Amino acid sequence: MKASVQQQHLAHGLAIVSKAVSPRSTLPVLANILIASDDGRLRLSATNLELGITCWIPATIEDAGAITVPARTFQDLVNTLTGERIDLTLDPRTQTLNVRSGSSNTDIKGIDAQEFPPIPVPDLSEGVSLNVNDFKEMIQQVVFAASTDEARPVLQGVLLNIKEDQITMAATDGFRISVRKGLLSNPVRQEISVIIPARALTELARIATDGEQMLTMNVPPGRGQVIFHVKDAELVSQLIDGNFPDYRAIIPRSYKTHTVLSTPAFLKACKQAEIIAREGNNVVRLNILPGSDSPGVVEVSAQSEETGASQIQVDANIEGSPLLIAFNVKFLREVLDVIKTPSVALETNQNNTPATIKPIGDDDFVHVIMPMHLG
Amino acid sequence: MPIRILAEEVASQIAAGEVVERPASVVKELMENSLDAGARRIEIRIANAGKALIEVTDDGCGIPAGELTLAVARHATSKLSAAEDLFRIATLGFRGEALASIASVSRLTLISREQNAEMGRKIVVEGGKLIANDAAGLPVGTLVRVENLFFNVPARLKFLKSDLTEKNQITQLVSRYALAYPQIRFRLMQDEREVLLSHGKNNRREVLAQIYGNDLARQMLEVELEDEDIRVRGFISPVGISRSNRREIVFFVNGRWVQDAGLSTALIQAYHTLLMVGRYPIASIFVEMSPEMVDVNVHPAKAEVRFRDADRVFRAVQRAVKRALLAYSPAPQLSSSTWLSRSGEAGVDPAWEMAYEANLAQMEVAPEPAGKETVPQPVQLPVDSLPLLRVIGQVGAAYLVAEGPDGLYLIDQHAAHERVLFEKFMREAGKEIPSQALLHPQTIELPPQAAELLQTQLAVLNRWGFEVEHFGGNTFRVRRVPAILSGLDPLIIVRSLVEDFEEDETPLQAEIEARVIARVCKRAAVKAGQILSAEEQNALVRDLERCQSPRTCPHGRPTMIHLSVDLLERQFGRRGSR
Repeated sequence: MKASVQQQHLAHGLAIVSKAVSPRSTLPVLANILIASDDGRLRLSATNLELGITCWIPATIEDAGAITVPARTFQDLVNTLTGERIDLTLDPRTQTLNVRSGSSNTDIKGIDAQEFPPIPVPDLSEGVSLNVNDFKEMIQQVVFAASTDEARPVLQGVLLNIKEDQITMAATDGFRISVRKGLLSNPVRQEISVIIPARALTELARIATDGEQMLTMNVPPGRGQVIFHVKDAELVSQLIDGNFPDYRAIIPRSYKTHTVLSTPAFLKACKQAEIIAREGNNVVRLNILPGSDSPGVVEVSAQSEETGASQIQVDANIEGSPLLIAFNVKFLREVLDVIKTPSVALETNQNNTPATIKPIGDDDFVHVIMPMHLG
Repeated sequence: MPIRILAEEVASQIAAGEVVERPASVVKELMENSLDAGARRIEIRIANAGKALIEVTDDGCGIPAGELTLAVARHATSKLSAAEDLFRIATLGFRGEALASIASVSRLTLISREQNAEMGRKIVVEGGKLIANDAAGLPVGTLVRVENLFFNVPARLKFLKSDLTEKNQITQLVSRYALAYPQIRFRLMQDEREVLLSHGKNNRREVLAQIYGNDLARQMLEVELEDEDIRVRGFISPVGISRSNRREIVFFVNGRWVQDAGLSTALIQAYHTLLMVGRYPIASIFVEMSPEMVDVNVHPAKAEVRFRDADRVFRAVQRAVKRALLAYSPAPQLSSSTWLSRSGEAGVDPAWEMAYEANLAQMEVAPEPAGKETVPQPVQLPVDSLPLLRVIGQVGAAYLVAEGPDGLYLIDQHAAHERVLFEKFMREAGKEIPSQALLHPQTIELPPQAAELLQTQLAVLNRWGFEVEHFGGNTFRVRRVPAILSGLDPLIIVRSLVEDFEEDETPLQAEIEARVIARVCKRAAVKAGQILSAEEQNALVRDLERCQSPRTCPHGRPTMIHLSVDLLERQFGRRGSR
């Protein structure tokens, strides 16, 4: 292989794929990045066997070929090169990649490209088209609610269901659940229901930078994989096998108290309370006090044995009975962080039943949190 | 004092001590008699942990009316007649001692009707003396009722463990026999509550489900091996499931429950490297061989046996287990743990190992008055505080390296965090424990014994931030978990707590609470393999400095290794060169 590329293209491509490198794998080749000529461009790939990322960058190819090189070494080198143009030359006999740029000349020992696990290719004609901006927002609004506990693989994933032109995503860690709906421009013929690792979706949101574009999702039948294709990049992820909890049964249908707050004011109050609460199991208390003729107020308070106590008042429009309820402040802060509307509704029943958080003016997003109990 | 022949009564009470040491041993003897009588159905009723009542009813061949009184005499048996028979014993009993022994320490009622007999007969023996002998009506079979066990041996009574322990012993015993004899219907009632019912359909997996719950029963691997005249069958746990003690390793040899260290070692060796150190499999193994190959006349309660060719038996067991494990072993997964274990094999630098040992030695010697390496003693709290430490970094995503005025500290991040959480929890004792409710209550099904244990400790759990409720049968429902555990699988937490309860019971309620908290903290603490940011490392060490006993985790393992300046200098050969 002999190719030349621009430093900024190569550095950008490496930054994208390096997230899938698994530096601690028992398979040495998985710590490497595959570099291959591909139809007038250079293809970069990395995989940890659960997640694979591929990226294409513009290049001038003189000789076709492929090699894998250690990701860290190659990326660190490329990031320090100052010359605009980088020449890559592979010596196939020694499997060594020569990297030459300006006055710098480096040989990196690689591993035969044949040893790199094959990365599946999507069937783009069969895929579902999604608007990048919309899909990224959906990912953001659910992905944080997924569990990080390796003991429960299903909850480490996000349920994605597409039926006709309806797309629904849901994630839960057993204590809260985020559900986001959306509409597709082109309905699908066959229903799709898969559980995608939250991590893969987070990576996808990072890769898909150009918001105006479309991305294509492809679930090849019977392979247990999902492939996302954006311009110049692809992400392949293993799907999670299992039964996702029935989220429809969990979302409360009625409420006794309906509280409308300013999203930024509520978020700020939570962030302030968290400074104290994080020393004491993250507990915040919301004292919801409806006003008789004036608008009501929500007192957000936290206290910790070691740190101190804080109380913040947030004005609110409250209908229904007063309530003192406690939550994990991290849960509140995380959901308020992804709500884009200026106002948010908190719907509650009792201090031991689930509470619902909904953006005002956006019916597509629902978040349910279980309260905490102070025994 | 002149030497005298002991009175009959005393002699038989002494003999009874060897066979009947606790209610469970009575159940065992009676059950074995029923099995020898060819019963298809055995029903056991227990009241007050066996102290008030043990009643075993069977539909076996019965005892002829004229022989009933003989049955309770010492050295009277129908199972053996000459000494040479001892070498080919095919029945479970043969010593002719059990009934006599039991009769000498209780009030024993024996009712039996033989096949073809018109009437049954009933005798009552109290403390070894016959007090009634009448005709009685009953279906074919035998009923043995043992009341007021140990009424005349108060010392024995005093040494019985708690009712819960004795009850568990009985449940465990009966469930093991139910597993060994799947063709026989066993029913165990404890205080009018049905604890176990096997259907006698000759389906071991079904019995297994009764004992361990459906989940585990489904996952158990079947073992089957025939080596000429040795036959090994049974079930073992797959590699992913293990216990922290050997209690769930059960061997039956020719239908007799035996405790043989050699057999369990053979079994555990078959798991070699597949289980973590200190973890043991669950196994029920049934070994059959011709009676001449095994000597059962070794131990009065017959819990031990001697094999004519022990090596062959061990090898057969080991091979059978290995074969089953290999056949079902899952493909190795690429995960961070493989990386960890691999780096473990690489071996430790001998110097460091030496340093560690030196350190241990220093920790073990009597504390010097001014020494900084005193043995951590929870009592002498103030002495134990740590000096201010400067965190240098993290090693292997498991240990923190810190510098103090007196040398280098290696801190186990998991153990240290456990200690920090534990003390925090204990400080909050008596105050409100915040807990996080689950979106969807989760149900958990436990084996009967574990269920009973959990039920007795529910109040403790619920006081410490859980909300777990009994949901009928052996099922429980988890509604809330302590706030520090939110984010983890509630079922795994409850299971590990139950395992802790099973470990052994302590009569001290306070200790149980401490154990629950220690276990909760263990679950919540950062794990080895978790990369901590510089701030997290600092925060952890600061918190540890503030602990009252920072040098050990709540389970007693060290949280840190200290390499003193002095030791470093000696190791590098700097000392003495000047």
